[in-house]
Amino acid sequence: MNRRQRTHVNRRRYLTALGAAGSLGLAGCAGLTGGGGNGKSDGTTTKTSYGNVPPVIKDRPTEPYVPTHVEGMEMAGRQTSGDYACALTYSYPHRFWLVTGTRTRKVVITREDTVHLMPVIWDTSAKLVPPDVSPQMTVEKDGEVVADFAPWPMLSQPMGFHFGDNVSLDGDGTYTVTIEVGSPSGRRIGGLQPNDPLSFEFEWDFRQVSVDAISYRDIPSQREGMPGAIPPMDMPFVAMTQAPEPGAIPGTTATLGVTNGGEFQATIIDDASDYGGSSDETYLAVSPRTKYNRFILPMMSLSATLTHQGESVHDGPLSNALHPELGYHYGATITTAEPGTELDVTVDAPPQIGRHEGYETAFVEMNGLSATF
Amino acid sequence: MTDTDRGIPRREFLKSAVAIGGASALAACIDWESANVPKGVDDPSTLPRRQHAWNSTLARDDHGNVVVPRHHLILLLDYGADGPPGQEVRIGFESALQSLERAYEWSNEGLVFAVGYSPAYFDRFDTTLPDGVDIPGPQALAPFEDPDLDTPDAIVHLASDHAQVVLGAEQAFRAETEELNGISVEALPDGLTITDRRTGFVGRGLPADHQDVDGIPENDPVPEDSPLYMGFMSGFEKNQASEDRVTIAEGPFAGGTTMHASHMFLDLEQWYGQDDRYHRVATMFCPHHANEGTVEGAGLNLGTDSGMDECAPADEAARTQGVVGHSQKMTSVREDDSPLILRRDFDSTDGGRPGLHFVSLQATISDFNDTREAMNGEDLADSSAVGQRTNNGILQYIDVTSRGNYLIPPRPLRAFPPARPEVPA
Repeated sequence: MNRRQRTHVNRRRYLTALGAAGSLGLAGCAGLTGGGGNGKSDGTTTKTSYGNVPPVIKDRPTEPYVPTHVEGMEMAGRQTSGDYACALTYSYPHRFWLVTGTRTRKVVITREDTVHLMPVIWDTSAKLVPPDVSPQMTVEKDGEVVADFAPWPMLSQPMGFHFGDNVSLDGDGTYTVTIEVGSPSGRRIGGLQPNDPLSFEFEWDFRQVSVDAISYRDIPSQREGMPGAIPPMDMPFVAMTQAPEPGAIPGTTATLGVTNGGEFQATIIDDASDYGGSSDETYLAVSPRTKYNRFILPMMSLSATLTHQGESVHDGPLSNALHPELGYHYGATITTAEPGTELDVTVDAPPQIGRHEGYETAFVEMNGLSATF
Repeated sequence: MTDTDRGIPRREFLKSAVAIGGASALAACIDWESANVPKGVDDPSTLPRRQHAWNSTLARDDHGNVVVPRHHLILLLDYGADGPPGQEVRIGFESALQSLERAYEWSNEGLVFAVGYSPAYFDRFDTTLPDGVDIPGPQALAPFEDPDLDTPDAIVHLASDHAQVVLGAEQAFRAETEELNGISVEALPDGLTITDRRTGFVGRGLPADHQDVDGIPENDPVPEDSPLYMGFMSGFEKNQASEDRVTIAEGPFAGGTTMHASHMFLDLEQWYGQDDRYHRVATMFCPHHANEGTVEGAGLNLGTDSGMDECAPADEAARTQGVVGHSQKMTSVREDDSPLILRRDFDSTDGGRPGLHFVSLQATISDFNDTREAMNGEDLADSSAVGQRTNNGILQYIDVTSRGNYLIPPRPLRAFPPARPEVPA
């Protein structure tokens, strides 16, 4: 039928394989009879934390906090394609939180989960990780698809922004992992170009012992749950998901402050020609980042009003963009902004990215912030 | 059935039988179903000019929504020689199709089907298709998809409430049976080859019956009352274009339509294993429905439309709620308060994982592309908290693996039509 249709022997049940084989998957006449139960009895999925993971801390602050433990990661390989590189990394299965609006929901580790699989894709010349693409991962073993999914955009204290999900593998062996990345959704400015579709393929000789050997560090109980964050890990692509230091932001800058663990910087750049506008326009940029680790906060709805001497200069939504110096930020082209202009930023919706432990109570209920240039 | 079969649960046996396929599967189905399939017409020329005129013969639910047949089979056909097929092949194919119409009633209780042709087929002719017949080649329709582009000569979409009927039709095509339902049937003519078969099901209970495949959490999450894997009904009367709307109005192909047929894998591990119902309702319908609990079960309570009047516009939801529903995005592609496309999609376990064959009919392929563009919500991802796929309708969970575009000619031209029929048939 297509490139992904392969004869696929179900690893759970033999009868399932008979019903699911690519050669013929027509619904059985069974569906016509409306008979009783189908005899399944193995309720093996667990919905509680699995293994030795400590329970989530009860009283968590509403900002980044030190988690119960820190896990390292391993790299299965690194590939390049033109100006882009992809590292296939993995760690223990993780619990994490997904976000819908201002609701968070915990995803627990299940008995089937083998690893937390994370493809990291970055622009090697601009040294930026584009968060507005959507990798599709296919994991195969012996020609059979083991997993086919779009990993979640996520944020963790050691890694910053990345894509990841828990995956159930089929034991030790050689896996083929394909990662397809389409073009991005956001703006590219300052000479950056949107990536063309990318494809990376890894041959991964997976051994469970290599997961078991990944570092696991328990955090002393007096530190866990305290406001703060464990420091970013020392990997080049992790630094690429950090927003610029306030001093490195071009233009006339202002500090908006902190809300729910998100720290907001803003700048006004008189000449918008390097920012998607023209030389007689001005660019307004807002750069939210995590408190402590300075990681970018993608997938927010931000809007801004600019007021000068009581008169509205700008009032509208900001759109996300990547710029070599500003990194991932939210911005708009405006006509002008005199000194003394007041900026009010509203968070219409918080970052809709998944969170690893220590970030799930932050960046959810975010208030508006103000500053004067 | 022999005595040795009796210890096997009937349901499992039938699944195995169908999976094995071919003549023995057909025999088993006929034996077990014991269905009285109504016979077809003596004179197939009395059937409607529109091949896609299915609705008046199909069942309806309590609200009046059309219920598509439960079992589906798509066959892709190639003609082995260069140039247009000759008279012999045309007559042979038409004869095979008519024999099915004599064997089975044109209804969900019998068999409905439609035959279409790809742009690759029409390339066999020196002339081009008439103006107004819009069948471009298939293409990727989102920045994040990389589908195989199907270019068979022809496609046959068969549907029935009885598995034995679609299996029987295929067996007849393959010359593996000469009689169906007491009527003698004919095989495909020489020169025609079935290059691919795609199978599936839709209807209350069937997805739940087929949830023991890889790619679905093991706690049987697919609701028993759902007609589709994702847990909600579709095909609300007011969310479907009418057959009139999708019909080509003028020219030699008047009475025909266009078909887009794609396959996508569905990530039900994330959908059921990691997301909750609130999120499923918000992304399938709209955040309002999730907040208000508007959708009960599979949504049968909604009646004849998905209640989009109560939901905010898609851009407003994306900006202020951080999530936008699939149906919510679709409201922007309506004309005269009707969608542009008529969906006849069905779920599948092809490839050994849960999937969907999205079959839709529309007057022009552009109508389909416009609909898909709205579903992509690229403008929303650019300017709101909604991601390119995450929280952007159901894009997170679908991986399109193939796409194909077809012209469904009117019935008199359904057997290998010329690109330029000289007179309206």
